[in-house]
Amino acid sequence: MKNIILLKISRILSTACFLCMFLGWQAVFSLTGSLHNNPWVNQSWQQAMVTGAITDINGIPLAGVAVQVKGKQIGVVSDPDGNFSIVAKPNDVLVFSALGFITQNVSVNQQNTIRIQLLEDVTQLEGITLNAGYYTVKEKERTGNIAKLSSKIIEKQPVNNPLAAMQGHLSGVNIVQNTGVPGGGFTIEIRGRNFLNGATEPLYIVDGVPYGSESLASVSVSQGINGANISPLNAINPNDIESIEVLKDADATAIYGSRAANGVVLITTKKGKAGKTKFNVNMSSTLGTVSNFLDLMNTQQYLEVRREGIINDGFGSFLENPAFDFVWPDVKSWDQNRQTDWQKELIGGTSYRNQLQLSVSGGSDQTQFLISSAYQNETTVFPGDSKYGKVTVNSNINHQSKDNRFKINLSTLYSRETNNLPRTDLANSAYTLEPNAPALYDENGNLNWENNTFDNPLGLLQEDYNVNINTLIANTGITYELTTNLEFKTSLGFTTYDLDSYRILPSTARNPSFGFTPENYSTLTTNSGSRQSWIVEPQLQWKPKWNKLGLNVLVGSTFQKQPSTQLVQSGRGFPNNELIRNLSAAKTLQVLEDSDSEYNYQAFFGRINFNWDGKYIVNFTGRRDGSSRFGPGKQFGNFGAVGLAWLFSEELLLKESSLLSFGKLRGSFGSTGSDNIGDYQFLDTYRVTGLNYNGVGIIEPSGIFNPFFGWEVNKKLEAALELGFFKDRLLLNSSWYQNRSSNQLIGIPLAATTGFSSLTGNFDATVENTGFEFDLRSTNIKGTNFQWSSTFNITFPENRLVQFPGLETSVFANRFVIGESLSIIKLFESQGVNSETGIYEFKDFNGDGLITGLEDRKFIEDFSPDFFGGLGNVFRYKNISLDLFFQFKKQRGFNSFVTQTAPGFRRNGSVDLLDRWQEVGDEVSVTKASASLNPASFASRDNQRFSNAAVSDASFIRLRNISFSYHIPKTNKNGLDMNVYLQGQNLWTITNYDGPDPEQTSTLILPPLRQITLGLQLGF
Amino acid sequence: MKHLIYSIIHLQYALRKVFNQWQYVGFALLLSGAFSCSDFVEVDAPKNTLTSETVFEDAATVKSALANIYLRMRDQSMVSGRNGLSTAMGIYSDELDYYLFDVNNTQLYQHSVLASNGLLTNWWRSSYTIIYASNDIIKGVENSNALSPDEKAEFKGQALFIRGYIHSLLVALYGDIPYITTTNYIANNQVSRIPIDKVYENIITDVKEAVSLLKNDAASDESVIPNRATANALLARMYVQTENWELAETTASKVISNYSLETDINKVFLKNSASTLWQFKPNGISDRNTYEANQFVIRFIPGQAFSLSEKLLNSFEVGDNRRIAWIGSQTSSDGLNTLFFANKYKAIFNVTASLEYSILFRVEEQYLIRAEARAQLGNSIGSQTDLNVIRNRAGLANTSASTKETLMTAILNERFVEFFTEHGHRWFDLKRMEVARNELASIKTNWKDTDVLLPIPETELELNPNLKPQNAGY
Repeated sequence: MKNIILLKISRILSTACFLCMFLGWQAVFSLTGSLHNNPWVNQSWQQAMVTGAITDINGIPLAGVAVQVKGKQIGVVSDPDGNFSIVAKPNDVLVFSALGFITQNVSVNQQNTIRIQLLEDVTQLEGITLNAGYYTVKEKERTGNIAKLSSKIIEKQPVNNPLAAMQGHLSGVNIVQNTGVPGGGFTIEIRGRNFLNGATEPLYIVDGVPYGSESLASVSVSQGINGANISPLNAINPNDIESIEVLKDADATAIYGSRAANGVVLITTKKGKAGKTKFNVNMSSTLGTVSNFLDLMNTQQYLEVRREGIINDGFGSFLENPAFDFVWPDVKSWDQNRQTDWQKELIGGTSYRNQLQLSVSGGSDQTQFLISSAYQNETTVFPGDSKYGKVTVNSNINHQSKDNRFKINLSTLYSRETNNLPRTDLANSAYTLEPNAPALYDENGNLNWENNTFDNPLGLLQEDYNVNINTLIANTGITYELTTNLEFKTSLGFTTYDLDSYRILPSTARNPSFGFTPENYSTLTTNSGSRQSWIVEPQLQWKPKWNKLGLNVLVGSTFQKQPSTQLVQSGRGFPNNELIRNLSAAKTLQVLEDSDSEYNYQAFFGRINFNWDGKYIVNFTGRRDGSSRFGPGKQFGNFGAVGLAWLFSEELLLKESSLLSFGKLRGSFGSTGSDNIGDYQFLDTYRVTGLNYNGVGIIEPSGIFNPFFGWEVNKKLEAALELGFFKDRLLLNSSWYQNRSSNQLIGIPLAATTGFSSLTGNFDATVENTGFEFDLRSTNIKGTNFQWSSTFNITFPENRLVQFPGLETSVFANRFVIGESLSIIKLFESQGVNSETGIYEFKDFNGDGLITGLEDRKFIEDFSPDFFGGLGNVFRYKNISLDLFFQFKKQRGFNSFVTQTAPGFRRNGSVDLLDRWQEVGDEVSVTKASASLNPASFASRDNQRFSNAAVSDASFIRLRNISFSYHIPKTNKNGLDMNVYLQGQNLWTITNYDGPDPEQTSTLILPPLRQITLGLQLGF
Repeated sequence: MKHLIYSIIHLQYALRKVFNQWQYVGFALLLSGAFSCSDFVEVDAPKNTLTSETVFEDAATVKSALANIYLRMRDQSMVSGRNGLSTAMGIYSDELDYYLFDVNNTQLYQHSVLASNGLLTNWWRSSYTIIYASNDIIKGVENSNALSPDEKAEFKGQALFIRGYIHSLLVALYGDIPYITTTNYIANNQVSRIPIDKVYENIITDVKEAVSLLKNDAASDESVIPNRATANALLARMYVQTENWELAETTASKVISNYSLETDINKVFLKNSASTLWQFKPNGISDRNTYEANQFVIRFIPGQAFSLSEKLLNSFEVGDNRRIAWIGSQTSSDGLNTLFFANKYKAIFNVTASLEYSILFRVEEQYLIRAEARAQLGNSIGSQTDLNVIRNRAGLANTSASTKETLMTAILNERFVEFFTEHGHRWFDLKRMEVARNELASIKTNWKDTDVLLPIPETELELNPNLKPQNAGY
């Protein structure tokens, strides 16, 4: 079987090569052919050279304007000074066109020089083209929902990951940053949670190549610092991105079939432009700090409630008994007056990020190139010298034959990331360490363990976590126009993602009294994961046009193979800690995981688009998909969609309206799917674990198997109204969607008596996401010197479990409720503190006199957002521009009660816990102090953590981005193009939330940082 | 309308033109279509897995599957030396005091156990994972054509023994439990609990079959795999539990006849002790010795987790050598406080040489089982003889007990000082002899009579409502 697959790979590759050669030859042939037919070779006596200059209304030269002789295949592009020269006949008409400007036609007549001013196109819609993956579509004529974020917005944000740049900007797209530690991951939801198994990752396509976003991190190496969640998208430098398009509805996504249920994110990198060779240098420095510190108890308050808690628990007499001193060193042996702000010590630092980017671009009309390289270095807010570094190289070459029939594009994106972090996030220690905990270092500069009574958090800093990631994304796109309107296209893509990480546990990181030595304790765990993917996608596109009917037909197929391997090893016992990074020095070596997997994927897809006079558009898309993640007979699935659009503003009645400049009604319906369950789930197997017992290698049952599961189905319905007013100075897009996901693939939880916790299978439940999305773009002021434009988007999502046969008796009975969101949690209903006993009380839903998790967790809280969106304003005065972007979200989240509900524990907590019950009659919100020694109130304190009292409003309005830039006027024509900019990210937040950050509510993880960037950009 | 007709005519014309082009472009698509679709999306199993059928075609892979069970038991089940019965039931009964703040242990120590207790949930889950693995081996071995009858008997015997053993612990902790004998997840997912008597009946059936299948009675290969003597030892324990005194006596005798008692009490817990029927071999990498030593030995005060209770220390008679040999002490750095700890296992992990393995069954228990059975059967002399074997080895004189009642009291106390901190023996004794209330109510202020059973994990009742009702008191 392996051999057959190899054979096939080679067959496919050789076919692909052959195709390339064939097409290349065809191109050369047609090139030479076209030279012979070229009119200005034969008819030169009639021709004259026409030269000229193109400026805007302010007289600023316009580069890159296409100048074409109407009706002929002759064209040039203006140079950086706006000059052009072209050969034309006196009766020719020259067409001047450029993105963002109104196209002008000028008759040559007898002129030798033509000076022309182009007017800016106030109509924002014209000329905007969207990347829909396999095809492009005009913004005006799209039938699907495609949201776009351009480089203009991405460049203004000092972020490391493209997803960070998208936050808040796109309606229907909810992105949460998982950690403030550099190199961490993000959670993204496009139009809500579709699946019970929680999979929300969309399909990412980078320059036409599907890019696996699953992390290859290993829990045994990186769990403590980033939850083994390292976003592979970190490899893409946001500054290299030309645009990000998000496909949301059935019409846009169905062509991606089975992988599109959670939406598709298309990332397009920058390309070179014809003209003078341009150099661009961009350097910046960023300072980052934790944006919000918690209000924690000071030493005096802490010790007061500690003692009170110990007395309340009935151990007061022990406090005075020196024999028990060791039980509570914080109250007894430690300095009672010492006070340390652990937040300041452990997460209060400033992180520095330095970035330098160089790019060179240019080219001729036939060949353009862009090479860009960036270096970035970032430290953390933790003490110590942790850092993240990234080098990216992005190169892009475009070539087209003179007759434009053959085009080839090669884009390569390489990145190397290194990340060196402490093994464990220090945020939790910062929030919970006793305020009078002793000094971190003793007088000799060694870690202080205070006679074995103090678990020094800085020990964690010696437990290094280190990761090296190499990513290569390469794609070749070849297009050949076979005849007019018929085009053959193929993309050949390759990606590789290699992750090498290790974690060390040196004996010196632990309390020396444990007696750990390098020989008996020091441990190195390494993880190397590797994933390759190659893809071939031959396609045919036919774009005929007859009179008023335009047709666009696309057929193609996909072959994709994605093998991956993972090797996790652990070495223990080293002669000394200097050798701890060398596995071969380890006394004992253990292979924790040595696995490989292969994901094969094949599809046929097509699109037929009818366009009647730019007024009525019908778009059919479809895909037949096969995936190796399913068992025999279940591998294939069919998906498809239809989209309709009516541009009613083109109707005669409205065509001359001065108010309404654009109006479109569109709708779509179709199905997509998902195979988001991991590889090989259908096989009945035993797994090699790498462990042994008594010298016998261990194999264990991998799980209960089910060979019969199949595709998840996600049906999407959308209706939208798009309006443009005042010559499109105000654009409003509003859409309503309803997505229903059924045949849910989940690990169905099983009772332990089955021997396993879950079984992969299809579950007959339906989840519905409905919502309204509004996008507003306006050009408020458009003067010569001053411009002001705004964008606003808001999404009202609603998530609902529609049907779930047998929910009441199923394992999900306590997780979900029909008619409610998937993000609900069932909680106790807290009735506050009993003023007599000082203990929390709860509503006894079933009235049996007992408060039990099974019967009385009936209070429902929904954690999915009520609405979210963003508001952006761009102001420009002459050479100065200012961007302000606010993000907002209305939602609920766990508050600080979820970690601690009573004062007096041996851990610090919020000052809110001081409002505690102390004597009979106290009407307060917090239970009496306890040192957790008396069991009587265990349950009530624990229940309070999972009650409605532990949930509060976590809505926020955040000034996510400010960007201020000054363009230094050019002194002469060939001088430097200089930009100075100051950018801020996550600067200011309005919220009532009491935790570290309303966006990311865990207290175990460093919240996203506030960052300020100063940068300089030079172009010449 | 005119436009439309005009367009359609053009469409036809253009389509014909395209099909004419087919010959010189179309082979590209033909080629891509030439790869049969379903072949492309079929993949081989990855290198780190074996399909289930192949496992049972070879004795070596079946041994690997069985080794998985022993490793799981050693590392993550309730008989593991870490977070297992030895510590948890030690603090739940009167063997140990507890000093740390782990919520699961604190609940047990203070008899305020919640149904959400994580430790108990893990015990429950890991038990059934092991039972599944045993059942899969039983099924696979029965269906295998490649194994020899001897191999089949050996493998099935071990798996049946494990199934019986794990169920015997579950029933002792939780009372009515399901008895799982298949790998059918649909049935097992909605299984109901059966009464305690029925569970013991099933255990005895399984273990009797294991005894008939297993061959080896003598210690071999460091006793790290259970043999027929181990199965008989469990069977004797089950007969005592079900008050089947005659069978308890004869079964215990079978074990005793095959094993000699380790005469030197300093060697009882060494890996080559003559008394050991079955023990877990440490992994030899991070742990060359037992989890028990690591859990119990107090190296520093503060920092201790468990110490032996006053009551246990006072239960030793004067002159009992076990008090010296099996108990250690540590004094706090300020010299004010001395605590005692179980020192049966002495070698902590980081001692280079492997000295001790974690012992599950040792022959001493069989002497005390026979003593108890004989006392119940009215054979006081026989009972005294067995009891004295254990007492004499510890340097104590013969017992003075002679009636059934005094003998039972003496046996209970002997079991206390012989098996303290070993896999919950003490707790199970108190429960079996129905003296838990007498012995514990005075120590555990939260004692309730319903505490004799632990709660079924809350999450499991949610997952399978057929397991309801919860045990009384939770």
